Amino acid sequence: MASLSTTWLYQDRGLKCLFSVNGSLAGQSCFQYFQTSFVGSFSAQSVKVRVGVSSNGKTNLFPCVKCVKKDGSFDPLSVERPPYYSYMDSTSGQMEPASGARASIPGQEYWPEGTANRVRAARAPEPTAKSKGSPSYGKNPGSRRKKYKTGIVAAGSSDGICTVESSEGDGTVGSAELTIDTSDPAALETSGNVTEEPKDLSTDYVVYGTEPEEENFSDYELKKKLGEPHPFIDPNAKKPTEEPLSSEELWWNWRKPEKELWSRWQRRRPDVETVFVKAMAETGQVKLYGDHPTLTETNLYRARRHLYKEERLQAEQERLERIGPMAYYSEWVKAWKRDTSREAVQKHFEETGEEENMQLIKMFQHQTDREYRIMMGTDVRIRRDPLAMRMRGDQIKEIWGGDPVYPTVNYIQDPNEVIDYRGPDFHEPTPNMLAYLLEHGKITPREEIEKVLAKQKIEEHELTDVDEAMAQAVDIGENDDEVEDSDVEGVDEVDEKITRNWSVLKSNPELRKSKEKPKKEDPLTLKEAVEDSENLTDFLMDFEEDE
Amino acid sequence: MASLPLQQHSHPFFNYKGSSHGCSPRPSYPFLCNNRNKVGPIRASTDIPLLRLLQPRQVEESPSELEPADPDFYRIGYVRSVRAYGVEFMEGPNGFGVYASKDVEPLRRARVIMEIPLELMLTISQKLPWMFFPDIIPLGHPIFDIINSTNPETDWDLRLACLLLFAFDREGNFWQLYGDFLPSADECTSLLLATEEDLLELQDQDLASTMRAQKQRAIEFWEKNWHSAAPLKIKRLARDPERFVWAMSIAQSRCINLQMRIGALVQDANMLIPYADMLNHSFQPNCFFHWRFKDRMLEVMINAGQRIKKGEEMTIDYLKGKKNNMFMQRYGFSSSVNPWDVIQFSGNAQVHLDSFLSVFNISGLPEEYFHNTGQLSDDGDSFVDGAVIAAARTLPTWSDGDMPPVPSKERKAARQLQEECQQLLAEFPTNFQQDQQILDSMPDVRKTLEAAIKYRLNRKLFLEKIIQALDIYQTRLLF
Repeated sequence: MASLSTTWLYQDRGLKCLFSVNGSLAGQSCFQYFQTSFVGSFSAQSVKVRVGVSSNGKTNLFPCVKCVKKDGSFDPLSVERPPYYSYMDSTSGQMEPASGARASIPGQEYWPEGTANRVRAARAPEPTAKSKGSPSYGKNPGSRRKKYKTGIVAAGSSDGICTVESSEGDGTVGSAELTIDTSDPAALETSGNVTEEPKDLSTDYVVYGTEPEEENFSDYELKKKLGEPHPFIDPNAKKPTEEPLSSEELWWNWRKPEKELWSRWQRRRPDVETVFVKAMAETGQVKLYGDHPTLTETNLYRARRHLYKEERLQAEQERLERIGPMAYYSEWVKAWKRDTSREAVQKHFEETGEEENMQLIKMFQHQTDREYRIMMGTDVRIRRDPLAMRMRGDQIKEIWGGDPVYPTVNYIQDPNEVIDYRGPDFHEPTPNMLAYLLEHGKITPREEIEKVLAKQKIEEHELTDVDEAMAQAVDIGENDDEVEDSDVEGVDEVDEKITRNWSVLKSNPELRKSKEKPKKEDPLTLKEAVEDSENLTDFLMDFEEDE
Repeated sequence: MASLPLQQHSHPFFNYKGSSHGCSPRPSYPFLCNNRNKVGPIRASTDIPLLRLLQPRQVEESPSELEPADPDFYRIGYVRSVRAYGVEFMEGPNGFGVYASKDVEPLRRARVIMEIPLELMLTISQKLPWMFFPDIIPLGHPIFDIINSTNPETDWDLRLACLLLFAFDREGNFWQLYGDFLPSADECTSLLLATEEDLLELQDQDLASTMRAQKQRAIEFWEKNWHSAAPLKIKRLARDPERFVWAMSIAQSRCINLQMRIGALVQDANMLIPYADMLNHSFQPNCFFHWRFKDRMLEVMINAGQRIKKGEEMTIDYLKGKKNNMFMQRYGFSSSVNPWDVIQFSGNAQVHLDSFLSVFNISGLPEEYFHNTGQLSDDGDSFVDGAVIAAARTLPTWSDGDMPPVPSKERKAARQLQEECQQLLAEFPTNFQQDQQILDSMPDVRKTLEAAIKYRLNRKLFLEKIIQALDIYQTRLLF
C-alpha cells in the first residue's frame, strides 16, 4: 500500500511537471484527471471521482501494479499521457476530454427535447418468447388470436410480451440509468467513506487486450507503423487507375442523355414575341398549332411583323415620291387649302421663285400642334398598337412582370438573340432527310405525284365523258359540277401540303384555302421558294396579301 | 353465466338500507362494455374519477381469465419501432386488452405507455383531397378510383375498408402481419355481421333498420366495384361480399379520428392504428391519445394524476357523449352504465334537479356530472354509477332559483316517472331476467346475437336503475 501511494505521488509529481503549461492545475486535479480517464474508459459516462490525496492511503480501487522500483526512482516520461486534450468543464466541475465521445453526457434535464423518448425506446428489450403461429399475410385475418372457445392452451411464456419497465415518468429518466446496469452508480462514485470496501472493477468488466498480439506486419505496414518513408497507398492494395478515354473515343461513345434539359435553349422563354403571338391567337388573328407558340411560329410572326412594317414604310415612301412632299404632308395640315399637286408646286415656284422646301416650310407654318403630334406619331390619344393595349394583365405581366420601369420578369431581354436551333440530337450524324422521308412514305417523288395527278385528270375526263349523256338528258347546271370538282382538288392539295411540316400552314388553314386561286397561276411552292431563297420574302409576303 | 368472466361486484347492486324494494337477491351482472376487442369485463360500474387516487380500486377480473397474447403480436411491432412501456397485451375470452404490468404512481405529467409510428398506420384524410400516410396506394391504381368514387361526406368507412383490404394485399405491409390478430368475422361483434334474427333480438327498430341500411350500403358498394369485370388486382382484395363487410366492420369499430400534423400539414384523418386499437372502451378512461409531431408517432398516455394498479386495464373513451345505440351501431357493444344514455319521457312530471343531485351527491355542471365520493357520503355509497348520472341528465327536472321543492309533489312526480319507466319496460317483449336467462342458457352463442341481447338487457337495466334511483330519491328527500 505504501508503494502504491508513493506511486501516486510520483505520478502526481511527474504529471505536474508535464502539465506545467496549465499552471492552474493543482495536484489533486491532476490526480483526478488520471483517474477519470481510467474509469471513463469503462463507462461512456464519466463518473465523479473524488479521492483526496490524503485519503488515498485507504484506496484500493485499482489493482496494485507493482512495477516500480523500490528505490523510488521514476522516469516521468514513462507515464503515457492520455491521447486527448482536456479542459476544466464548468458544467460538470471536472476535467473533461476536449473532444470525442468521451465527453460526459449531461443529465436528462439538459437533453434536447425528445432525446429521453429515444433513449427509452432504444433501451426497450426485445420480446424473447417464441410464437407458435405463423403469419397468414392477410389471407386469414384473426388466425393468430387465441380463440378462447377452441381452448388453446397458453403458450406458457408468461413473459411473452415483456414490456419495458419504463422509468419513473418522463421527468426522471435520469442520467443514473445511463450507466451500465450491473454497476451501481453509487459504487462508482467513490467518495471517501465508500472506499472502505474496495471493489475490484476489473472483475465487473471484460478487459480486452491482456495478451499482446503477435505482430506479423507486411513490409508496407511495418514501414507505416515505424514512420519510415512509405507510399501513401499500400502498393499491394493499389489498383491501377483506368485509362481515361480519349476525346475521340468520348466523341464516338457519346450517349444522348435521356430526358434532360441539356441546354438552356430548350427552356421555353416567354419573350415579347411569344406572348404577343399567344395573345394574337387568343384574339383570333393567327392560329397556332398547339397551345403555346413554337419557336418557329414565334419567329415567323416576328419576321412577318418586320416585313409588314418595312412594307408599310416602303409604300409610304413610294407615295411620297409619287405625289410629292407637298401633297404628302398636306394631309397633316388641314389649314392649307391650296393646291398641292406637283404641277401647282412647279407653277408656284415659277411664279414666286420659292422652291419646294420653302413652300413646305410655309405650309408647316399653318400646322397646328395637334396635327404635328399626329404626324409625328406622338399623340397619346391615338392608340398605336391595339393588340398591345388589349392584352390582358397577366399577359402583360408575362412579359414585363407588370412593370416596364423595373421589370421583374424576363429582365434580360435581348431582341437580337440568336436561336439555338440544335436539338438534343445534334450529336447524331445528320440524317438524309430525303431518303428518310421517301422510305417512310412521307414524301412522294415528283414523277409519282405527276402520275397520280395525270390519272386523276383522266378520271375526271372520263367522268365528264360519262356525264355528257346525262347532261344532255337532264339539264343540270354545269357550274355546280365545276365547283365541286374544284373543291375536290383543293382538298387534295391541302392534304398534300399537310405532309410538309410547315407550321404556318398548319396553324392557319384559311391561308391554304384562300391560296388556291393564286397558286394556280403562280405555282410557287414552299419548297421552291426555299430553294431560291431570295424568294422567301416574297413567299412570306404572299401570306400577308391573303390576309 | 358460467362461461362469462364475471365481475364480482364488491358492492351489491342495491344496498340502500331503508329500501323496501323487492328484488334484492339479484344476480350480479357483468356490465360488459363489450367493445371492439371484446375483452372481458371492463370496470363499468366504477364511479366518476374524481378523487380516484384516494379510493382503493377493486381488481375486477381474475387474472386466470387472461393470458398474454401471442409473442409475435408485440414482436412484429417492436421491430418496427412500436414500444409499449409498462403495459402488456392480454387476450381473454372476449378478445384483446391492454393491461398494466406494474403499478403506476400518480404523476403530474401524463406518461407514455405506447408509441406507434405513423408508418404502421393506415390513414385517409377525412376530406378531399384524399391523402394517405403512409402513401401505400400507387399512382393510377384502380383502388384509388374506387375510394374517390365514395361520397366524401359520409363514406369514410367504405374508404377505410378499401384501404385496409388493399393493405392486406400489399406485399410486405405491416397489416398483413397485424391482420392475424384482428378479430375474424365470427369474433366480431359489429352488427354489420349480424344476421336478420340478431337484429330482431335488439328490440330496437330504429337501430335495426339503421344496421340494415348500413349492410345494404356495404353490399351495394361491393357489387358496384367488385363486379365481374373488375381488374384482378381489385377483385382479389375481396372475393366475396362477406370479406368486404368484415373489413368495413373493422374499419367502423377500429377507426380513430385524430388530427395529425405532418410537417406543415395539419390533417384530420381516419386512421387505423395498430396496437392502439386494442385499447378497450371505458366511460372513465385512464388513457388518451396524443400525436407526437416530432417523429410522427401516436402516443398513448396515462392521464396525469392517475394511479394505476398492476393488472388494471388501460382504457380510452371511444365516443364522448354518445348514447348506447351509437356504440352499438359502430362498435357492437353497449353498457348499462353509459352516463350519456337518454330516455324519452313523455309526461309532464318533473323532479327538482338540485334535490335529485344532492340526494345522490352528484356535483358538476350537466355536461360533466360526477359523483362526489368520499366527501359527504362516507358510508361507501356504491349505488351511484353511470346510470344514475345518466338519470340526472335525462330525467325531466325543474329548478327555479331558491324555490324549495314540496316533498309531496316531488314524491308524486317521482312516482309518475317511475310508472312511465315501468310502461317503457312493459313495452319490451321480454324482461331482463328472461334476457339474462337466455344469455346464460346459450354459452356458445354467436357474438352478434350475444351483443344484441346484451343491448336490450342493458336498456332494461338502465330503466330499472332509474326506477330504483327514484325510489331512493323519494325516501331521502326528507333530508
